Amino acid sequence: MTATIESASTSQDRVGPPPPFDPELAAALALVADMLPSAIVPEMIPAMREGLAVLDVPLSELTRDGAVTIEERQVPGPVGEPDISLLICRPANAGTGRPAIYHTHGGGMILGNSRTGLEDLLDWALELGLVVVSVEYRLAPEHPDPAPIEDCYAGLVWTAEHADELGIDPDQIIVAGTSAGGGLAAGLALLARDRRGPALAAQVLMCPMLDDRNDTPSSRQMAGRGVWDSTANTTGWTALLGDACGGPDVSPYAAPARAVDLSGLPPAFVDVGSAETFRDEDVAYATRIWQAGGVAELHVWPGGFHGFDTLAPQAAISQEAKAARVRWLRRQLGL
Amino acid sequence: MVKELAGRLAALDPDAGAAVQVIAYFDRLVDGRAGLEAIVRGAAVLAGCPARLIDDERRVRIRMTASGVRQDDSSAPDPQWLHRPLSADGPSALWLERPGPAGPVDLMVLERAGNAARGALERTRGRAAASSPDPAFVETVVDAAAPVDARLHAARRLGLPVDGRARALARPGGPATVHAVPPAGASAAVTGRAGLGPAVAVLDLPSSWADARTALRFTADGTEQDPGPRIVDFADLGGLALLAATVGVGTEPVPDVRRVERAAAAAPWVLATLDAIATTASLRAAATALTVHHSTVQERLTHAEHLLGWSVHDPQGRLRLQLALVLRRLHRSAR
Repeated sequence: MTATIESASTSQDRVGPPPPFDPELAAALALVADMLPSAIVPEMIPAMREGLAVLDVPLSELTRDGAVTIEERQVPGPVGEPDISLLICRPANAGTGRPAIYHTHGGGMILGNSRTGLEDLLDWALELGLVVVSVEYRLAPEHPDPAPIEDCYAGLVWTAEHADELGIDPDQIIVAGTSAGGGLAAGLALLARDRRGPALAAQVLMCPMLDDRNDTPSSRQMAGRGVWDSTANTTGWTALLGDACGGPDVSPYAAPARAVDLSGLPPAFVDVGSAETFRDEDVAYATRIWQAGGVAELHVWPGGFHGFDTLAPQAAISQEAKAARVRWLRRQLGL
Repeated sequence: MVKELAGRLAALDPDAGAAVQVIAYFDRLVDGRAGLEAIVRGAAVLAGCPARLIDDERRVRIRMTASGVRQDDSSAPDPQWLHRPLSADGPSALWLERPGPAGPVDLMVLERAGNAARGALERTRGRAAASSPDPAFVETVVDAAAPVDARLHAARRLGLPVDGRARALARPGGPATVHAVPPAGASAAVTGRAGLGPAVAVLDLPSSWADARTALRFTADGTEQDPGPRIVDFADLGGLALLAATVGVGTEPVPDVRRVERAAAAAPWVLATLDAIATTASLRAAATALTVHHSTVQERLTHAEHLLGWSVHDPQGRLRLQLALVLRRLHRSAR
């Protein structure tokens, strides 16, 4: 008897049909199909920025009837670059010496602002007594790599240096982000390791955007389906990296999947949907952290499209995904 | 984002986008065989208020908050709240915890979520005794003009085996009913007056329904004034079925039918006696069926033959009688 053993995956591997969406998620997707195309091309960026702006939660609403105090601070940006703005959110009764979440927002490197995705983090802040600092980094394509990651890093350095003033325990700073923000958070963990600071307690990478090569089976499998397909991914990465996208000279801080060495990183929480472009690169990232001797918790939510828990927070699987993060944070912080 | 969607739905033009969106949402849930929780959650989230499913017969009580969190409550629902019964006669219902008047979105949510919930209940908890199949699905499954997909969908929703056999059943003045044919060939007990269509593949139910209606025209009340079989199976009609196509309320009766009518008018026992003679093998058997002495039957028969004008003692005369009785029934019902 002979057996043919397939070689390890190559970009030419055949893929099956897309995994089915979870029924509740498919229903929610049907509601927004007309205003949320799977494929995003560069020409759509201005209109999408305008469209998303109307979904911005006003600052007055983020305070949750006074339970959260919100302060916007201008702090120094990268050397020789403009100042950046940090949104500092504190539970009114948090006290001092609290753990902190340093948040890098999502939006494919081309969309969003420091309030994007903040609501879930404020839930964590209130439930666990955390300070949340969300950074307003410059967006591509107007500001290509390394502007976004260096803005994020500058804000992280400032936050760690001002931990006392902010009521933060400097040994309990966690970077967290969704999608492009997850990629930036992973990039920050690599930068903080390689530049020897600031010390990070953990990294929360929610459906992170990690790999500019955009050639995994999941990327091809989900083309034209769900949220943020391979066309949208190309748009985001090309905006960030220009002609270097997919080539040999991409910085691992911009595309963490490019990092050769994933050892010495803080514990990672990685979650992703099984029906999204980023599935394979995210699973691979967690796997490589384990292979390097590191600590990671990985959740692959079946039938989840990209950002499913944001778009359909009511779905049972979204509630599970959100609860898993909070449980992990509790364990990680010893709360 | 779905929170915004609920608001968006409410603001939409009632008869335009909102209804379509609600339909799309619950159709997806049904297609994905979503469970009861997902359906009630969808109702709550899209209506923007808590929703309940109560089916005490099946011991099901599910309550979802507007944000889709399960929060059961054993209290009785307020009768003022918007609700929709899941079956015509059963106490089970889907409730929205909001008093009327119902907006167009509320009505659509109640209808679509209610239908989805009924299907899920029957699939997961079995058919309740009190619940009757949705007449709309029965109408579809016996409608030859309905698309094949719609008929198969309706068959599934009615619990019919899509690859098995089923028969239609017609009742006087009633809508169609359809029954799966048990594999063993045993037919479900049918009571009352009914015409039975042949057992066919579910896609052939329209022809079974047509035949059932034909069979119904051969039935009688089974009383002295209208003697005859209460249940007729089309398969047992043989060549008699051809008569149904040519004889109806408006057609001119043949002389034999007029003679039967004249005989029937002469004495109250005539019709029952003629029917017993026509459908039994001997005078004695007819006497037993009529619960009179056989000499009485003999006496009545002589009188009846005189009124009819032909002998019913020989086979040819009995066939004439059988035909006249059958034609008389066909004249009483529309083709």
